[in-house]
Amino acid sequence: MMRRRAWITFCLAALCFGFLPALIRSEYFLNLFLMFFLYVTVAQSWNLLGGFTGQISLGHSAFFGTGALITRLIWTAGVPIVPALIAGSLSSVVLALLVGVPCLRMRSAYFPIGTLALAMIAQITVANLFPLPGSLSRGYLTGYSMLSRYYLALLVAMLTVAVVYWIVRSRTGLALVGIRDDEAAAEAMGVRTFKHKVFALMVSSWLVGLGGGIFAYHQVSYYYSAPFELSWSFLPTLTTFIGGLGTIAGPILGAACFLGLSEIFAISLGEVHLVVFAFTFILVVLFVPGGLMSISTKIRSLTARIARRATRV
Amino acid sequence: MGQTLVYGVLNGALYGIIALGIALVFGVMRYLNLAQGSLIILGAYGILFLFHLGVDPFASMPLIAFLLFLLGGALFWASFSRLIALSEAGRIKNSLLISFGLMLLIDNLATLLWTGDERSITPAYSGLTFGIAGLRFPLIGCVGVLSALVIIVALHLFLARTYFGKSIMAVSQDHEAASLMGVNVNLTCLVSFAISVGLASIPSALIGLKSFSPTVGIQWFNKGVIVVMLSGIGNINGVFPAGLFLGIMEAISVYFFGAPYREVTGLVVFVLVMVLFPKGLFKRQEL
Amino acid sequence: MMLRVEHVDVRYGDLQVLWDVDLEVRQGEIVALVGSNGAGKSTLIRTIAGLVKPSGGTIHYGDALLNDKPPHTIAASGISMVPEGRRLFPKMTVLQNLEMGAFLRKARPQKETTLDWVYEIFPILRKRSHQPAGLLSGGEQQMLAIGRALMGRNDFLLLDELSLGLSPLLVKQIFDVLVTINKAGITLFIVEQNVPMTLKIANRAYILETGRIVGEGVARELMESEHVKAAYLGMA
Repeated sequence: MMRRRAWITFCLAALCFGFLPALIRSEYFLNLFLMFFLYVTVAQSWNLLGGFTGQISLGHSAFFGTGALITRLIWTAGVPIVPALIAGSLSSVVLALLVGVPCLRMRSAYFPIGTLALAMIAQITVANLFPLPGSLSRGYLTGYSMLSRYYLALLVAMLTVAVVYWIVRSRTGLALVGIRDDEAAAEAMGVRTFKHKVFALMVSSWLVGLGGGIFAYHQVSYYYSAPFELSWSFLPTLTTFIGGLGTIAGPILGAACFLGLSEIFAISLGEVHLVVFAFTFILVVLFVPGGLMSISTKIRSLTARIARRATRV
Repeated sequence: MGQTLVYGVLNGALYGIIALGIALVFGVMRYLNLAQGSLIILGAYGILFLFHLGVDPFASMPLIAFLLFLLGGALFWASFSRLIALSEAGRIKNSLLISFGLMLLIDNLATLLWTGDERSITPAYSGLTFGIAGLRFPLIGCVGVLSALVIIVALHLFLARTYFGKSIMAVSQDHEAASLMGVNVNLTCLVSFAISVGLASIPSALIGLKSFSPTVGIQWFNKGVIVVMLSGIGNINGVFPAGLFLGIMEAISVYFFGAPYREVTGLVVFVLVMVLFPKGLFKRQEL
Repeated sequence: MMLRVEHVDVRYGDLQVLWDVDLEVRQGEIVALVGSNGAGKSTLIRTIAGLVKPSGGTIHYGDALLNDKPPHTIAASGISMVPEGRRLFPKMTVLQNLEMGAFLRKARPQKETTLDWVYEIFPILRKRSHQPAGLLSGGEQQMLAIGRALMGRNDFLLLDELSLGLSPLLVKQIFDVLVTINKAGITLFIVEQNVPMTLKIANRAYILETGRIVGEGVARELMESEHVKAAYLGMA
């Protein structure tokens, strides 16, 4: 029942977003939706590790950046985008195995600052190794098509949501949630917690690496260290918490709100949306651990109760 | 090499003072305040503002310290106080999240108010140096070392000699037992949090005299947290030597790998220690 | 009447652990609360000290209502506690622990004289005064915990599971000290699993089973009752 409804929602979303470019020709809106897909990818992949497994990572910018860097280097060397994207995302997984896995050996309370330190190391190192911005050469620019970027970003976002949904619904997902809720208890029940955490980290870094690849495919010119900037770590943390930690819809909702708010404020003032989001984030951590999703379920149960009372009368 | 070491020691003293505030709240409450760096930068903007009105940065430091103290108390009252009842791991994790939000809030407010441009406070004496035995000593750096020593001794005396200091020590070791002795645990936590934010005013002045922008707070926090980890939690007296150690290590790495990787040195040490001592160096220090 | 507990309920979330508990302690008495493991004894004593909030009922000390007061206010109003597991400050020395005991404003001026008194009761603490509390033996730690509570100069002492983990000889020694302390005018409320030892020194006792008071009376008479003999003294 639940599964079928999710399936229908998923297909409907694919259809809507798939036919959207036929209705809207505006480059601005296609760009906006592409960013939405990118944010959903980043936030949802973060959610698998942070929301469902309880390992709050402040280092996803390192994986996002690595995906972007390798994809860009391979793609601009003349390889088609799809193999480049796959190679880029796999290099994120390699990085996660090399440096992220040791971080999982820390006490989970220290995981956030451990990963944050990694992200900073990655950013400084890349900024030193590639001090100049990377621009697309003329050949790439003449062939630049917004539509192919739009559809690839959509594909990656749908893939991310589907993979996270599928994992969370599986036996593995049950183990991940068990680790989040009580690691010692999960261990006592025979869950091999470390193995599961590594698995979640690998999948998460793979998906966010794909996101990085989309960034590299989409941007015409940027500093190679730009996708390594810490804001790519902070963004999924903010949006997922505000949307609803550990729910599939939460990161999507959070990403939409973030993008909407940033567009509204971008016209008048600079970084106001970040101020609003940071403040909301604190409120969510303190008072509404379930984020916007829990508010919506609360409202739904409230309206249901009112409706029931009304029918009784 | 000798000159590099001098700069290493001067930087190290600064790291020590930054770490002091972080160590205090972590020792007493197991709160990790990610926003400490941003609060330091906020203080630097305050000192810059007063400097434009003609007040010397070191003269305005006490006022900024007091204002930060009040801000710290208010922040604790409004948010961090709600975490006291949680388990130790819960306190670390949730304080980290709240201070993460706070950091973004302060950084972006600062960007709105003062733009993202790099600023610096430049009194007439800011570039002065003096020479001893062929080495150059910048005046402000030396004032930094002195103030670090003074503050650390003062804090040590406060904690060891006054009743309020003793209650802070008691709460850090066993807050339930402390409450049975008649210690008001909530008030003690509030005041120690406020003190730690007030302590940010010293690095505010020292960093303000170098250069700062709204988003560099996190880098200074990182220096502080590395020092805290190296010295061992609850060990206020170890903070200064650990700061010097980090400063000198950085200086040596600059000598061998070049300046761009200076920031990486401390971070690599940090990650290595975290990974090699997964229970944290913190744990070993507790009896 | 010094301490009056009336109709007290305590719950942890959905789980109720104390039901309608009534008891009272008069000035100068030694009152014991006995019962098996998990009966709720520690919860009750922690509720009196303010570490746990009751969900119903009232707790009075003299005329003051203690229900909603935090532990430090309750300590200031005259009740000290020796908590289960001693809960010393491990990184402080013996002397510093004792000084923390005199944290209460009214205890500070008399700190030196109280210290002499405590050292007189537990001479070993004087010898150990500059050692960290974490390095003391179990018996010494328990003495320090009692000494620290005495430093507060309060007339009422709550004692939670003193005998836990101590040898019988040490237990006897410590219970002898309790009688001395009581003779000095301090009222004692003792929670214990070591029922025979406790009933020997107590004036009156309450029996707590699964969160309810199921019996009370003069300690000596309780020792003779068939229920107590069977359940707590191992005499069938």
